[in-house]
Amino acid sequence: MNRGNSRLILLISFLLFFCIVVLNDLVQGDWGNLSEGWGNLIHFWNDSLWPPDWSMLEAQSYPECQVSIGFFCSKAYLGMLETIKMAFVATIFGFIGAISLSTLAAKNLVPSFVYFPVRIILAITRSLPSIIWAILFVVVFGLGPLAGVLAMTFYTIGYLGKLQYEELEGMHREPLDAARAMGLTHSEIVTNVVIPESSNTLLSQLLFMFEYNVRHGTVLGLVGAGGIGYYLNYYMQLFLYQKVMAFLVVIFIVVIIIDLFSMFIRSFVTDEGDINKPSWVSIFLSPKQARKFHEKPIVEESE
Amino acid sequence: MPESILSLKNLTIGYEDELIHSIDLQVEIGDIIAIVGPSGLGKTTLLRVIAGLITPLNGEITWRKIRKRGGIGYIPQRLGLVRHASVFHNVDLGARAGTTPSWNIFRWSKERSIDVKEAIDEMGLSEKMYQPIRKLSGGQQRRVATARTLAQKPKLILADEFLSELDQDNVNNIMNVFKSYIENNDAAMILVEHDIERAKKISTKILEIKDSQLRIFSSGVEK
Repeated sequence: MNRGNSRLILLISFLLFFCIVVLNDLVQGDWGNLSEGWGNLIHFWNDSLWPPDWSMLEAQSYPECQVSIGFFCSKAYLGMLETIKMAFVATIFGFIGAISLSTLAAKNLVPSFVYFPVRIILAITRSLPSIIWAILFVVVFGLGPLAGVLAMTFYTIGYLGKLQYEELEGMHREPLDAARAMGLTHSEIVTNVVIPESSNTLLSQLLFMFEYNVRHGTVLGLVGAGGIGYYLNYYMQLFLYQKVMAFLVVIFIVVIIIDLFSMFIRSFVTDEGDINKPSWVSIFLSPKQARKFHEKPIVEESE
Repeated sequence: MPESILSLKNLTIGYEDELIHSIDLQVEIGDIIAIVGPSGLGKTTLLRVIAGLITPLNGEITWRKIRKRGGIGYIPQRLGLVRHASVFHNVDLGARAGTTPSWNIFRWSKERSIDVKEAIDEMGLSEKMYQPIRKLSGGQQRRVATARTLAQKPKLILADEFLSELDQDNVNNIMNVFKSYIENNDAAMILVEHDIERAKKISTKILEIKDSQLRIFSSGVEK
């Protein structure tokens, strides 16, 4: 084992030991709760959580279901669909807001008198958790999905904005130098150099944020901001945990599906599966579609 | 008498410390000036000052009718290409800078695409037009950077050691393209080159950095 490895192992051992000391301080030396807690969890799981109440996936009695498959009129489906819609709109609005602000917050793109105030705005937006935003918007706009969408949008701007400006600051200087020397404007540099150069990471962050908003949308229902969270809150208050469990299974399956979808989309912008894209707009098209989207390449014309 | 497009008078450049001082240089139409010297003496910094990317510590720099949109073409050491975008996109950046923006973006884009395709074709990259830059070889990437400059049609081309890693045939091909461009478009070129023998073959004037000063090294080939 070389000297570097032994130092690393020593550092990790020290960190673990330090964590145990801090945890011991937090539980005030009483580890009895941990052993009792495990038994409580098994008891709770067997008596209250499992099996899930799958009636949540069946059509509601009111309003009357107009489609042949009852699932599409169920509380789980309708609640999840509303959460996905909220997350989708909030992620897109949030992404647009975040990319606009992050290009004004990156040190390598704008002078300090611009990036400093913009960073403060992003920090303020980020420092309030989305559930606090949701409470604020419920007060302003009343109960319902609009408050949820606005809460997620504001949180997305703050959170994604920080990730994005850090990514933009990490980009190599030379493409910016070449573009600036050419005399391109700030907006041209942002849209034609900065965004395409960071496209892989920006896309990855966008998809992560959508998944995050879907998961987090379930929490916002707790304060009346709509979506599947409304039902979660409702049944938790009634201690009907088997119904809550059915909703949790649905959320889990949807998150897995979104993750697979996100992997599929990102596969187009990795080195293995590349889009032959003439512009960053066609990032969402497959290589074949991207080629069709734009005119034929010269090589085909000459044949 | 050839028209001067750039003049540097008693210029001092550097960052915290002074790198080169007392720089006096006139660049005229048709000039191909090579700057030689070991690494770390300020060659890249000098190009960046001329490109208007950083300000000199002292002295006077005058750009004559070239400090405008598309007037200066800059090829950095690692080419400054957008790696995740296609050849077309990168060359279009040059064409974009070389034209005046129009509110009719579709028409503007169509007009630019003619110049872009011509430049790509001239560099023999038609088959790679929609390939992302990171999938191209080093030589092909250099040709993309050349095509971007051709599509831009600048009056002054600044190139930072961009001929390194190329064999002599490719150097000759690329330099022939640039020489013909400079002749036909009343332009000039300043390039940083570490290989003195190569600098003698491609330039009309060689300058070297020695003792923190820019001096004339020797005469290159005839114009």
